[in-house]
Amino acid sequence: MNRQSTSAYWVLALLSLAVLIPMASLLAVGRLPGFESSDLQFWHSSYIRRVLFFSFWQAFLSTIISLGLALLVARSIAFRGNFLLRNLLLKLFGLPIVVPSIVAVMGVVSVYGAEGWIPLGRSLYGLNGILIAHVFFNLPLAVRLLLPVWQSLPDHYWQLADQLRFTPWQRWVHIEWPAIRESLPGVALLVFMLCLTSFAVVLTLGGGPKSSTLEVAIYQSLRFDFDPTQAVILALLQLSLCLVVAFLGLSLQKLPEVEINISATSYARHTKNLLLHNTVILLAAIFVALPLLAMIIDAIRGPVIEVLGNSKLWLASAYTLMIGLSAAFCSVLAGWLLLRSSSELANRGKVNRAKWIELAGSVVYVLPPLVLGTGYFVLLAPHVDVFDWVFPIVILINSMMGLPFVIKVLSPAMRKNQMRYQNLCCSLALRGWHKFRWVDWPLLRRPMGLAAALVAAMAMGDLGVIALFGSVDTTTLPLMLYQQLGAYRIPQAAVSAVFLLLMCLIVFWLLERGLGGKYHVQD
Amino acid sequence: MFKIEQLSFSYHQQQNAEMLFDLDAKPGEILSIIGPSGCGKSTLLNLIAGFLPAQSGHISIDNEFIENLSPAQRPLTMVFQQHNLFPHLDLYTNVALGINPSLKLSEEQKNEVSDALKKLGLSGLEKRKPGQLSGGQRQRVALARALVRHHKVLLLDEPFAALGPALRQELIELLKSLVQQKSMIALLVSHQPDDALQASGRTAFIHQGRVCAIDETAKLLNNTDNKDIRSYLGSL
Repeated sequence: MNRQSTSAYWVLALLSLAVLIPMASLLAVGRLPGFESSDLQFWHSSYIRRVLFFSFWQAFLSTIISLGLALLVARSIAFRGNFLLRNLLLKLFGLPIVVPSIVAVMGVVSVYGAEGWIPLGRSLYGLNGILIAHVFFNLPLAVRLLLPVWQSLPDHYWQLADQLRFTPWQRWVHIEWPAIRESLPGVALLVFMLCLTSFAVVLTLGGGPKSSTLEVAIYQSLRFDFDPTQAVILALLQLSLCLVVAFLGLSLQKLPEVEINISATSYARHTKNLLLHNTVILLAAIFVALPLLAMIIDAIRGPVIEVLGNSKLWLASAYTLMIGLSAAFCSVLAGWLLLRSSSELANRGKVNRAKWIELAGSVVYVLPPLVLGTGYFVLLAPHVDVFDWVFPIVILINSMMGLPFVIKVLSPAMRKNQMRYQNLCCSLALRGWHKFRWVDWPLLRRPMGLAAALVAAMAMGDLGVIALFGSVDTTTLPLMLYQQLGAYRIPQAAVSAVFLLLMCLIVFWLLERGLGGKYHVQD
Repeated sequence: MFKIEQLSFSYHQQQNAEMLFDLDAKPGEILSIIGPSGCGKSTLLNLIAGFLPAQSGHISIDNEFIENLSPAQRPLTMVFQQHNLFPHLDLYTNVALGINPSLKLSEEQKNEVSDALKKLGLSGLEKRKPGQLSGGQRQRVALARALVRHHKVLLLDEPFAALGPALRQELIELLKSLVQQKSMIALLVSHQPDDALQASGRTAFIHQGRVCAIDETAKLLNNTDNKDIRSYLGSL
C-alpha cells in the first residue's frame, strides 16, 4: 500500500468514527434517563404514525410533481436548441442549490401566501406550501440533471427520425424515453431523499402535528418537549427509512452524475411546437424567479437601516461565514485526499476498490443531518454543555454533508488528470509539493473552487443542525431569520433574508472565481 | 548497449507469463517495433519505463540493470502519443520541468532549454501554451524535453500517429539526426510499416507478447515466409 492510499484510509477512518459514534449513541437509547421499554412501541403512538405517513406522502408528491414538470421543461429546453438567454436560464436554474431554504420559503410565502401576489387558497401553511417550496428547489435541479440526457442523444437519431417520419409521440417512445428511463430512477431517488430529509421548509411551512415530518418532529422533541427518548426513536425511524429508500433506489439505478456545466447544443432540432416550448420555458423561469424577486422587493421596502444597524446581524454573519468557510475547507480537503487514492487505484485497474472509496465518502448522503445531530446531542449532553460545542459540531456535520458534492464535482477531473498525466509525472520525477504546485493545482483549481463554493453556500444557508444546537448567543443568520419569523417580525426578516442571500451568492462567486481563477485551460 | 532479457509480464497476476520479451539495441540506433494491436508493443514500453511491474527478467543499459528502479529513477525518457505536455504551462516551462521539477534552473540550464527549443525549430514560441500549437509542434516540444534530460534511452509510443504523412516524415528525419548526434538509443513503437522503413535500420515484429522476428527493416517487411507478418501487413 502506498502513501496515497493510506491518506484515503485515514479520511475514511475519521469519517466512520464521526458517523458511527453518534449512531451508536442513538442505538443505546435504552440507557437514556426516563426511558421505558414501551417507548419503543412507536406504532402505538398515533402522533408518530401520522408523522411517518406525512413524511412519506409529502416526499412522494413532491417527487412526482417535480419530476413530471422537470421532464416537460427539460424537453422544451432541449428542443429549443440554442436560444438567447439559454445560459442565463440555466444559471437561474442553478440558483436554488445556493439559495438558503428558509429564504426561498419566505419568497414562496410572499408570492403565493394569503397576502401574497398570487394567493393560493386561504393559507399556504401545510401540504400546499411544502409542495410548492419543494418543487421550487427540485424542479430546477431535476431539469439540470435530465437535460444532459437529451443532449447525449446523437444528432443522427433526429435525422433518422425525420427520414422515417416519426411523429413527436413516436420520437418520444423510440428515442427519448429509452434514454430517460436510464437516469430517471436515480434523479427520483435524489429528489425523494432531499424531500424526505428536508427540514427548514417543513419547519416553517408545516403547521403543527398535522403536517410535520420526522425530521421536524426530531427537532421538536429535543428542543421543545425536552424528550430525548422520543427524539432518538424518531431519529432511528428516520435513519431506517432513509437506508431502506437508498437501498431500493440504488438497486434500481446508480446515482446520476451532477452535471455542472451544460454546454449549449450545436444544432437546432426541428420542432413545430415552438410556441408550446417557449411557454413552458417561460412559465418555469417565472416560477423560479418570482419568489426571489418578491424577496428582494420586500427587503427594499423593509427597515433596511434598522436591520443593518443591529450588531446581532453582524455577529450572526461572522458566525455564518466562519461555518461556511470552515466546512468548505474541511470538505474539499477530505474529498481531495479520498479522490487522490481512488483515481490512482482506478488508473491501476482497481476500479472496484476506487468505486468503494468514493461510495464510502458519499455514504453521508443517506444520513439526514438532524439524525446525526441528535446522535451528537445525546452523546454529548450528559457530559458537557452541548451549546458550547455548537460550532465544531455544525462545521463537522456540514463538512460531511458537503462531501458527496465535492466527490461528484472533483472526481471526473481528478480521474482525467490521473489517466493523462500520471505516467508523465512519474517519468519527470514530479511528486509531492512540486506536483501539486505545477500540475494538480492549476488543473484542479476550477472544480475545487466550484466544490468549495457549493459546500460553503450550503453550509451558510443551513438551518438544521444549528437549530438543534444554537442558542441566543450563538446564532447564525438562518437561525436568526427563523427567530425573527417566529416573533412575527416579518419586515425585519425580509431584510435579513436578502442579506443572507446576497452573502451566500457573494461567497459562492468569490470562491468559485477566486479559487478557480479566470483563465480556461485549452486541451 | 541496451538489452532486454527474458522480461516477462502478465496482466493477470496468478497466471503464467503472457508476455516474454528479448531485445537489444545499440547507440545511435532507432529500433522500430511493429505488430498488430494488442500484441504487447505498448506494454513492452511501459515495462521498460517502469509503469508496469515485470514479473521477472532484466533490462540493462550499458550493463547496468535498471529493472528494480522506480520510473523516475530510470535513465530514460518516454514520449507518448498525446498528453505529453501540461496544457496550463507554457513551452519553456514544459521543457524546463524535464531538467528540474522545482523549476529552479541555473543560467546554464536555462540556455540549454532555449537551445533545445531552437534545435527543434521552436524558438520564439517559448511563451506559447500547448493549446496554441499544432500537433506536430507539440511532439517537437516533447522531443526537446527529452533532449534536455540527457538520457541515453528514448522510448517513443506511437508519437507521430496523429500526424499526417508529410509531417511524420519530417519528424522522423529530425529524430534520426538527434539520435545520431547524441548517440541515443531509441525504441519507436509504430503503426505504420512505412515509418519503420524510413526510421530504422532494424525492426522488431511483436506477435502475441513475443518478439517473433527482429531483422533489417526491409528484409523483415518482405519476409514472406512468416505468416504472422504476412497477415499483419495484409500483403500477398
